[in-house]
Parts: sequence; structure tokens; C-alpha cells
Amino acid sequence: MEYHDRSPSGHLTLSDTGKEVTLAGWVDALRDHGGVLFIHLRDRSGIVQVVFTPESTPQTVCARAGLLKSEFCILLVGQVVKRVEGTENPGITTGDIEVVAKDLAILSGADTLPFQISEKSMVAGAAVKREEGVAEDLRLQFRYLDLRRPRMQDHLIKRHRIVKAVRDYLDEQGFIEVETPMLTKSTPEGARDYVVPSRHYPRNFYALPQSPQLFKQLLMVGGMERYFQIVRCFRDEDLRPNRQPEFTQLDLEASFIDEEFIYALLEELTVRMFQIGGIQLPRPFPRMTWTDAMNSTGSDKPDLRFGMTFKDATDIFAETNYGIFRQILSRGGCIKGINLKGQSERLSKNVLQNEYAKEIVPGFGAKGMTWMKVMDGGLESNIVQFFSDYERNEILRRFGATKGDVILLIADPSWSLVCSALGQLRLHVAQRLDLIPADAFYPLWVTDFPLFEATENGVTSNHHPFTMPDRTDFDPENIDELLSLRSRAYDLVVNGEELGGGSIRINDRDIQNRIFKALGLSYSEIEAKFGFFLKALEYGAPPHGGIALGIDRVVAMILGTSSIREVIAFPKNRSAFCLLTQAPSPVAVEQLAELGLLELGGSQSFPGSKEQQDLIDSLSWVSRIRMDAEERPAIAAAIDDAKAYADLINSRCVEDEPMFSVVTVVNRTRQGTEARVSQLAEKGELLKNAPSTKGGYFKVASILE
Amino acid sequence: MVSEIYTHKNMSPNSFANDGSLSGKRVVIQPNMSVRGWLCDAGSLALKGFVALEDATTVTRMRNAGVELVGSSRMSELGFGLAGDTATRILSGGEADIALVTDTMGEARVAAAGSGIFGFKPSFGIVSRFGLVGLVPSMECYGILGKRLEDMIDTLSVISGKDKDDPSMPDEGFPDFTAARKPLKMPCTAGVVKECFDILQDRERKAFRTGLARLEEAGLTIREVNLSDFDLFRVVHNIVASVEASSSAGKYDGVRYGHRSSSGKNWNDMYLNSRGESFGSLIKTFLYQGAYFQFENYPAFENACRNRRRLVRAVVDLLGHVDLLVFPTMRLGHDAEKAATINHIYDAFLLTLPANVTGQPSLHVPSLALHSEVDIGVQLIGLRLEDPRLLSIGLKLSSTAQGGSAA
Repeated sequence: MEYHDRSPSGHLTLSDTGKEVTLAGWVDALRDHGGVLFIHLRDRSGIVQVVFTPESTPQTVCARAGLLKSEFCILLVGQVVKRVEGTENPGITTGDIEVVAKDLAILSGADTLPFQISEKSMVAGAAVKREEGVAEDLRLQFRYLDLRRPRMQDHLIKRHRIVKAVRDYLDEQGFIEVETPMLTKSTPEGARDYVVPSRHYPRNFYALPQSPQLFKQLLMVGGMERYFQIVRCFRDEDLRPNRQPEFTQLDLEASFIDEEFIYALLEELTVRMFQIGGIQLPRPFPRMTWTDAMNSTGSDKPDLRFGMTFKDATDIFAETNYGIFRQILSRGGCIKGINLKGQSERLSKNVLQNEYAKEIVPGFGAKGMTWMKVMDGGLESNIVQFFSDYERNEILRRFGATKGDVILLIADPSWSLVCSALGQLRLHVAQRLDLIPADAFYPLWVTDFPLFEATENGVTSNHHPFTMPDRTDFDPENIDELLSLRSRAYDLVVNGEELGGGSIRINDRDIQNRIFKALGLSYSEIEAKFGFFLKALEYGAPPHGGIALGIDRVVAMILGTSSIREVIAFPKNRSAFCLLTQAPSPVAVEQLAELGLLELGGSQSFPGSKEQQDLIDSLSWVSRIRMDAEERPAIAAAIDDAKAYADLINSRCVEDEPMFSVVTVVNRTRQGTEARVSQLAEKGELLKNAPSTKGGYFKVASILE
Repeated sequence: MVSEIYTHKNMSPNSFANDGSLSGKRVVIQPNMSVRGWLCDAGSLALKGFVALEDATTVTRMRNAGVELVGSSRMSELGFGLAGDTATRILSGGEADIALVTDTMGEARVAAAGSGIFGFKPSFGIVSRFGLVGLVPSMECYGILGKRLEDMIDTLSVISGKDKDDPSMPDEGFPDFTAARKPLKMPCTAGVVKECFDILQDRERKAFRTGLARLEEAGLTIREVNLSDFDLFRVVHNIVASVEASSSAGKYDGVRYGHRSSSGKNWNDMYLNSRGESFGSLIKTFLYQGAYFQFENYPAFENACRNRRRLVRAVVDLLGHVDLLVFPTMRLGHDAEKAATINHIYDAFLLTLPANVTGQPSLHVPSLALHSEVDIGVQLIGLRLEDPRLLSIGLKLSSTAQGGSAA
């Protein structure tokens, strides 16, 4: 038997009936019918059923087949036959035929598997096996087995198709793919860098790119005109469930273009990418300014799959007698609200008052929430008696309210707080009431972002300092004017998720200098950080702009996966750890010495290590035990003792294995293979001792992001 | 029902197993030993209001053997030291025959020494800790107090032995406690560690010499032995125990049970405040020491464990030359119940903690080391799993002592 003429198992059809075929792949599943053995043979193309039967298969081959177990890698020759009527399996694409084996070679055996790989039932109509049962950490540890699953193969193949569509389209549009360095200098994206020590320049470090921002702009200065790259970027940010320390970005930049070029290019590109997942995006993509997005959804990445957009009610209450509103408005505040059409029956007064007004909305940062139910006789609420007739009628009119609606208002002296709290409330209610259509896609462009954000002592860039402002005649020292500037930046948002963003860049050294001046950067700081780049702007830099799309996120959205890890072959887990390779890991002292890193700790002091005060605070934090001021002296004395004990024990130490227990430690596995719910949990007894519970769960304070 | 000396008073202590080997024996436990439906707060706010959902294995076994559980005493916070412990008051008041007291650094023996009764810490790993709310897993075990050594031996036969619910128990044989009743094989040599004797004050030495004289009267030979690293027991215990305490106290989060701080806007604040308010000052200080070794100086913890191996080896070597080691049980001028700092508590338990470090059995025998009405106790230490031998020596000594006082 030879491999080279093998057929893809999943492509066999009724038209192949009678042919002798060579197949290779893995044993997906087996079924022994006393003498007749059925297996599902799986390769990348799909699954086909193979039969070993004493009537048609040589006895030695049958005997060999008897050795097969799940995930053995095999090669076989057999004849394609039509299945007997009534035994077809519509669960697999080759369900009308099967292959009667003539010869079999076991290429490689397989140990007992850490989890089941097979996803297809051998019997028509049997339950489809689900992946949720396997812990993700176990899947990541044995990723090479996880990747054998048809679902994962499909994800990676689709990802390939999507990326290929990008390359094909950009190539058509005259873009060329250029690679930029991985070992580079820190760029101004603002996250922490992953740094790589240099052996040739001891105590000096490269940074892994957070994005190729400066290089792609230099490619424009270099006359490449249209560049793109599918590039890996690295950011050492705080852990989030759906974030990876390294991620893939479609990075592109073009010269002699404006925003319209980018919108048209990206719309076509995005539509083509989503088509690979069978999704037709509605065109053209609408556009919304940042101010409108905030005013109507409280978010700079609005989810417009559902309505419930904000209405402003500030003017209605201009003359109000209701004390809380009057006070807020006298401090320049605003009042905004949403109308939950026809949801009155699903939101009881108790839920609105005790859950939303008292707990959920304060968690979004607002002090409170006003709710009103629209009834036959008008509005019903716990405060509506404070509103005048005019105010009640205007509210009904403004929100287009009819019987059965629920109106929620948030008022606060801060406009941004009203927007953000009401925006979170809008999403919360929509999710709770299941108002978001499952298969809808709503792409849009968000534009005209503020160029700067206010800080305690000045301004900082909202995007990055190379973004072109909407006008260039600004005074870099007038903070109010700076805060009124808009940037020529744009974000592509789909379903409330930012898939990418970019901007038209500054190509004029004078404007760039004034931006830096506005940011309060000194000449020497500018030189040290970006000198090489600014120099380039002095040599005829063309007008240019670009955008970057997060490929992992886009692919995950197109394929509808639960996390981006499902579309990455070898991802890190939620804790940025690679369970497969166990990275990151310590390195040998010799390696550190070679890199000149051993002395670093000695010569530099680290924050928090200097004083006893800091040590105790740090212990309080790591052991999560708050301490009073009066407890501190006793604790400090005890820590001093501990240090003295450490010195004593270290000085008397012997070369020996540490003894962690006086008895031999035995690793044990609990009997039984099935995970089961504890009876104490089932009966709810585990909750009896809890200080606070809610709806069958332990209740805790919200977790700070 | 709650009282000053009981955390839980059992209003229906009668046992149904009337023919068990402990039938009619009354036992008081501590409120860190689980009995379904009883308050099990381990003397700590960290377990405020916690009502046990299951019985500890020891409790099941004692009940099956006919024990009447009279209730749970009051105890020190998480069983660290003896502050506020009422087990001996319940025994002295005649309300129980046996008390179980968690022994992490000698609590059972020191409590017994203060009350003129027997106190025994069995070998580490022979009694299941399923259902015990512990603090220092590599050292703690159930200690037993009683007036009659025979009752204690019977209790040990019942509660010791393999338990599938406690996977920390080693796969090795268990002592046969019936052997404790057999006559002691003679000759028998007891070693006195010179480095320990040297640190005793005059009054303590005098009392201890009286005790040694009673041992000789009973036919034992006394020999002086050397243990040059004796001073390390305290340091090793402090480092290892504080690290294990810091680790095992990590579960007290105020979520599933225990005290929850009323302040705290988010998870971190809730956690910091709840734990800050839950732990008393002594335990809190201890947990900070543990955190120091855990997070700031882990090599010192590992070195402490290396020294622990050396100490175990040294004691086992000595017990190859003598049959048992003998120490006083408690020290004069160091009141274990009033110890308010880590140093004070370690001063008070200095002579009992070595057996917790080595996991060896240790028996406190009362009424031997008397001097001017002060009983500092005689504490016998033997090899691991040779608990019955130690107890048979105890039986012999107590009969000699009773014979002596009768004469």
C-alpha cells in the first residue's frame, strides 16, 4: 500500500461505488458487531465508515483490525459500496456509502486518550457529542489531539480562507505585503511591552511590537504607497477572559488617500470575509459620529442590533419641582432615558426598584435610576407623584410611550456618567429580556472621536499622537480648544464589538510638533522616543492613513465561537499561560548571566522592596488581610522575627531534600470517573452557611475589572 | 445550646450503640470537629455561624462505639494555642471522661499538664482528619485528654485506622492499641536531651529531676543524650506552621461561610475587609509571618523543611539508642492560655512542639514531676507508630505513682 494515491475519505460519494480506494487517517470510532467490525475513519476531509467482514475481508486483515482502538493512525485499501437501505447515516457527508476493507496497515498506535475526540455518532439519529464536557485547560494541554476534532479543523480551515480572502482582495487593490521587525523599539500604543534582552548590548532590551505603527508609516515615507501585513502583535496587558498576549492583526496603510478610500476598501473587504462564514453583511455600512454614538447608546462601539436608543429628557425637567432632578440640573447635569417597549409585564416593580435601581445601576457608577411603567391611567412609579402634568405628558410624548412600556431615566451632573451608566443598563436589560436578535449583524463606522482626553494636568491622546486632527490651526496651549478638536480617526464596529480602527496620519513635521507640545512632551523626550520617526517626516512624507483589524476577533465573530481561543491553533489560556509547552518558564542562571541580567536586581531597587512599611502592605495585599494602624506595630515586630528566623534557618541549612510531611505522600485519584454534583450542593445545603446568597448562588461584591 | 464553657451542648447525648467498646463513655470535642447540625466555628469569626453538614470520621466512629457526645467546648482561634479553651474545665467538672483537643504545637499535652490529667498526641497520620477544621496540616492531629489512661487507649483504638475520606493518610500499618495493655518489656531506657535540660530554670530542673527519679523507681534507666539542633525545633515549627496556616486559611473568604464585612464596594475590598475583620490579632500576625515566607522568602521555608528532615533523622537516631525520650511538658512562668504574641506562645509550647515537628507520639504523664506543689509534667516521646509501647509505659508509671502515693 502506498500513501500517494490515497483518496480523501470525506469526499467519497455514491458515484465512487465499486471503486477500490486507498484511505489513510485516524480511527474516529469503532463498533464491533460480533465478527463484523465497523469503524469511522477520519481525515481532514471528513469521515467514512469502513467495514471489516469475514465474507469480504481476508482473515489476517480482520485479525489486525481487531487490534484497532480510537485514534490509531491507519492506512487501508477497500471497495466503495452503497449502504444497505435503512443503514444510511445522514450525520456524515458520506453516509450513503461505506468502504469494505481489503487490506489494513496500522501506521501508529494510540494510548488511552485524555478526552474523546470523536464528534460524530456511528448510528443515525444518536445524540451528537458535545465539546462542553471537556475542560478547556485539558484541551489546551493536549491541543494536538483537540485539533483533530472536525470542529477545530473547520475553524482553522475557515480562518485560512478568511485570511486568504484578505490577501487576494488587497493584492487586487494594489497592496503589497511587507514584513516589519519583531525585535524592535517600544512604540507608543500605551500598553506594557514584552521585552527581549539583548546579549550583545547587556542590560538593553528589544521590545516586541504592540503594532507596526511607525514602520508602516515609514513604509509610506518609503514610497510603498499601499502596504498590508498579517502580523503578530504583542501586548502585556492585564488578564481578561477573551484576550491573548499575542494576537494577529491585519495592518494596512495607503498613501494619497482619504477616509472615503478606507471606508470603501474596508467595507468590501469585511463583506468578503463574512461571506466565508455564510454571512451577508448589510451595505452600505452606516456611519455615526462619536458624539451621536455616546448620546444615543452611551458607547463608542454601539450595538445597534436592537433599538432602545437614548432620548434626552433634560429640557422636560428644566422647571421641575422634583428635588433630585432640580439639584442635578442646577449643577449642569443631564437626564437621559430609554423606553423598553411593551416590557412592563416582564419587569416587576420589585425588579425595577430593588434589583435595578438599588443594585445593578449603582454598579454602573450612577447614583440611581428612575423607572416608570406606562399604564392605562398614565405613568406609575414610586416618584411620579413629584412630576407635574406637563412633565408626565412630555415624557410620554418624547419616548413615544404607550401602555405596557417601561421608561428608565438616569440623571447625573456628569454627561459622560449618564451616557456610560445608561449604556450599560441598555445592554443589561436587552440581554436579560433576550431582545438581541441572535443571527443579526450590524456593522457601522464610528467617526469624529475627540482627539484628546483631559487629564489632571493637561491632555493625552485618545488614539495615538500621529492621528491627524480635523483642523490644524489650533493653539497647543489652549486646553479647552484642544479638547474640542476631533480626530480623523475611525473605528469599524460590528454588533457592539470593535473589530478595528485607524486614522489619517499627520505627515507634517510642524503639526506633529504642535501635537507633542499639546501633550506636554519635552524636546528631549520626543527625541528619545520618536526622533528617528520625526526625522523621516522632514523628507517629503506623503499624506497617508490606514487601519488595523483584529483577525482573531473577526474570525471568532464570523464563526460564532465562544472565545478567540477557538480560532487560534495554539493559544495561551485565560491566565496567559501555555499549558502545552508550559511557557513562560524559568531559565538557567547561566542564561541570565550571559544576558547580563543577574546583576540587574542588585543594582536597581524595585518599587515596594525598600521599606518595611511597603513589605507589610504588600503582605496585607497578597494574603488579602486588611490590618488596622494599631495592629501594624505587632505585625512589623513579628515580621522582623520571621526575617531573623529565615537568617538562622538559612545559616544552619544542609543539602537535603525538603521534608514537607513526616509521612510518605501518596498521590491518589478519587474512585469513579464521572464528575458528579455533591448531594450537599444538590439539596442546597452548601448555601445554608453562606452570609449572602441569591437565586441559588453565593452572592459576592462585584469584581473590579 | 450555648454556654460559657460549651460552644454546643448536646441535649440528647445518649448513644444507640449500647454494646460498643466505648459504651457509656462521655466525650467532649472541640468546635472544629464536625458534627452534623452543630455549630462548628473553630473559635473564629472566619467560621462565624458555620453549622457542620457532615460528621467527622472520628465522630462517626465514636458514636458507633457507644460514646455519648456531651458537646463541644470552647477553643482558641483555629486551635492555635490554648487561649479560651474549656476542654479541661469540662473534664475537671466531671462532665466528660475524655476530651479531644487539636494538637498543633502541644495543646493537648500542655492543657493536661495544667489540670493534672493525662494528655496524648498520637503519631501523625493514624487518625483520620476528615471533618476536622485544621490549620497546620503537616503537624496537627487529634490530641486526647483524660483522667484514666485506659479510657484514652480505648478511644484511640476506635478512632485510629484507615479512612478513605482522608486521602492524606499514609499507606502503612496502624498501631494495635490492645498491645498497650500488655506488660512493658524491660529493660527500658529513657533519654534526657542535654540541650533541653540546660535551658530549664532551677525550679523546673528540680521538678523534672523528681519526675526522672519516679521513672527510675518504675525500673527505667535514665541516660543523657545530645541533640545539638534542639534550638531549631521552635524555628522550624514557626516557619512551617505559619506557611501552612497562611495557605489553609486562604479558604476563609466570607463567601461560602463565615463573617462577611459590611463594607467593601468590590470583590477585593470585600475579601480584604472580611478577612481583616475575621482573624484575631494572634492568628493574623501568624498569617502575616506565613505570607512573608510564602511570598517573600520561600527559600527559607524550603530550608526549614530541609532542617525538619534533619531533626526527624536526629531524633530517630537517638531512639535507636534509647527506648524513649523524656522532656518536661510545660514551662513555669509561661502561661499558655495567656500567651498574646507569637513569641509568647512558642515560649509556652517550646517543650511539646518537637513531637509535632517529627510526627512522633507523645504522652504527658501527670503527678510525677512535682516540686513545691508544681507539676510541670513528664512527657514521653517514642518512635512513630509505637504509640502502644508509649502508652504501656504510661500505664506502668501511673500504677507506680498510685502505688507510691498509696504507700
